[in-house]
Amino acid sequence: MERKLEENLISRKKETESSWISGTKKVKPKSKKTNNNFWVIFGFMAPALLIYGVFVIYSIVMTFYYSLFEWTGIDDNLIFAGIQNYITLIQDGVFWTSVKNNFLLVAASLITQLPLGLIMALLLFSPIKGMRFFRSIYFMPFLMSTVAIGILFVYIFDGNFGIVNQILGSIGLDSLQRSWLGNEVTAIWAVIATISWQFAPFYMILFRAAIVGIPEELYEAAEIDGANSRKKFFNITLPLLMPTIVTSSILSIIGSLKYFDLIYVMTGGGPNNATELMATYMYEQTFTNFNMGYGSSISFSMFIIAFMVIAVILIVDQRRKGVN
Amino acid sequence: MRKRKLKLLLILFVFCLLFILGACQSDNKASTSDDNDSTTITLWHIATAGQKETLENAVARFEEKHEGVHVELVQQENDPYKTKLSVAMGGGTPPDVFHSWGGGWLEKFVEAGQVKEITEEIDAENYLEAGLAVSTFDDKVYGAPLGMSLVPVWYNKQIFQEYNLAVPETYDELLTVIETLKSNDIIPFALANQSKWPGAFYLMYFAERIGGPDLFNEAYKRDGRGFDDQAYVEAGQKIQDLVEMGAFPDGVNGMNYDTGQSRQLIYSEKAAMITQVTSFLDNTRKDAPGFEEKLGFFPFPSIEGGKGDKSHLVGGVSPTFSVSEKSKHPDLATELVKELTSIESGQDLVDLAGGIAAIKNVTYEDEFSAEMYKLLNEAEYLQTFYDQTLPPEVATEHLDTTQALFGLTITPEEAAKKVEASAKEALK
Repeated sequence: MERKLEENLISRKKETESSWISGTKKVKPKSKKTNNNFWVIFGFMAPALLIYGVFVIYSIVMTFYYSLFEWTGIDDNLIFAGIQNYITLIQDGVFWTSVKNNFLLVAASLITQLPLGLIMALLLFSPIKGMRFFRSIYFMPFLMSTVAIGILFVYIFDGNFGIVNQILGSIGLDSLQRSWLGNEVTAIWAVIATISWQFAPFYMILFRAAIVGIPEELYEAAEIDGANSRKKFFNITLPLLMPTIVTSSILSIIGSLKYFDLIYVMTGGGPNNATELMATYMYEQTFTNFNMGYGSSISFSMFIIAFMVIAVILIVDQRRKGVN
Repeated sequence: MRKRKLKLLLILFVFCLLFILGACQSDNKASTSDDNDSTTITLWHIATAGQKETLENAVARFEEKHEGVHVELVQQENDPYKTKLSVAMGGGTPPDVFHSWGGGWLEKFVEAGQVKEITEEIDAENYLEAGLAVSTFDDKVYGAPLGMSLVPVWYNKQIFQEYNLAVPETYDELLTVIETLKSNDIIPFALANQSKWPGAFYLMYFAERIGGPDLFNEAYKRDGRGFDDQAYVEAGQKIQDLVEMGAFPDGVNGMNYDTGQSRQLIYSEKAAMITQVTSFLDNTRKDAPGFEEKLGFFPFPSIEGGKGDKSHLVGGVSPTFSVSEKSKHPDLATELVKELTSIESGQDLVDLAGGIAAIKNVTYEDEFSAEMYKLLNEAEYLQTFYDQTLPPEVATEHLDTTQALFGLTITPEEAAKKVEASAKEALK
């Protein structure tokens, strides 16, 4: 059943693709016109390409260039240092802590944000009263400014006045009370919880859109065949959501690898570098310690790591598609 | 239905377009008016409460004297300010006049050729020597100071009275005070150490009290004891002793001074003391009016057998104002610096902010200021803040290791060794 459906979808996709291509070919037959076509396409792409070139390609190249120098960033005195910055980086314990934290954040985001988003999206399709109300409520965190969220949660996790400790105290769990952000072990988890709270609604919206796109007939057919709601979920909803899940995962992973804002607002990478991420460490080195060269080598390493991770995901995804 | 949606989208689109056009328009206007009728000078500062008023008054006087000149005051938050300024300097768009604390941080910009020398323009006679010293490098002056910042221990007089406590003169007496407060469920010291500098006061004081006033200078100038001296190890040990005996609230390293997390403990009388800079008083007046009646301060206690003295103070200059080398109106900017550090401004700082002026011939009527000024006059030695004196890399190492000391995740020996290693590399 699902097999057929997917084949159907694929063939339909192919049809549209080929008709689109053949369509263009029919209108513009051969040589000079295809050349023309190139310029039209280029013309439409040029603005985006220009922005991409300046703000992405050029920046990456320049970051690599600067990472080869010893430079404060505020004067013209660049001293060529070769790969010295990278050698220092490999021996830098704080950098490895930050890499570890980044991967922790990636894992935690995948485990919490995606399922939470999916659950919330599914809840919004169940026939409860006041669904619109819940939809707005669920989406609220994503609309708030990150800095406001950060400061709000700093107060929530406060050791002396914070609501978390008060709730723990009132249900008799006094022993669990602590300064959540001041403790080197709990700080990272407190921040991760906040990040998940902020981003789960984003995935909810993605999933909701995808669920809306699933044809109603499939569920009707399944019902006739006697499928219960669990079977409907695992055999219809989930497989058809797979492309969205993959996209969401990629977004979540890249986002987590580059993450900066809430950490900067809530802990500043502290206490004692316990919540340092690659981005916050890069920021500290570049702008607080005046090590533009070293900071650039951290940035470039971030790029390499993110690039490799995404490459692996894309290859795995290709394979999966191939198998199907 | 679909048509209506399309219409809506179209309207939205037009609105967006209008908005963008509008934004461009106003931008253009702003820039043209600058070129034609008036000159704009930007001033970046981090002052709040009474200090901010002081600056605003000075700017008003300046604008009156110089017709057609407009001063744009840009207020910044303390911690991000340092970053913002270095980005602006690096990007070639610095403000005309900017705040700093002098010391190693300002020196970086001076070395990079970003700060205008104003030795000739200002009259050194107008300022306290200690105030001008932090912005003087190789006998050249790069900034004029407005205020001095000292670090006493602030305490709640009412709580002390209630438990029959006397102001501690020595470390042992301080320990007794801490014990008494602890047994009455009062947090002895409020501290918010996420920002790292509030905790560093303890290290600087302990190090001075144990190793004497020359300790830091020897380590800084590299001609004697170093940052791994036994005195620094002992200072670190003393901090950890206090942490272990519960002299601070739990999780100080997660609390932020700028958002008031330690001050709240003082105002709500959950904590009895706080080691903080002069402007703590200014904040109190704004945050909790009337609370100052309960407030007193005493100098950081001495340590028996140590080489330091109770009269020696940790402090620094805040703020000192400098002119950017890239300023388009260097002469006007220098004039503004002079106005910002005039006797009138100094008097305002004392009267409005309860501060101490780095400017001579100011009269002290504010009770707190007068008393604090007396402390400063009696002090034979002023220990400037490490994080402002040292080059940024060493300052960061000093702050990071001190924070770790409070978190009990580093031993005093390790901390001292790390700072020394960083100093060896940066201070040659």
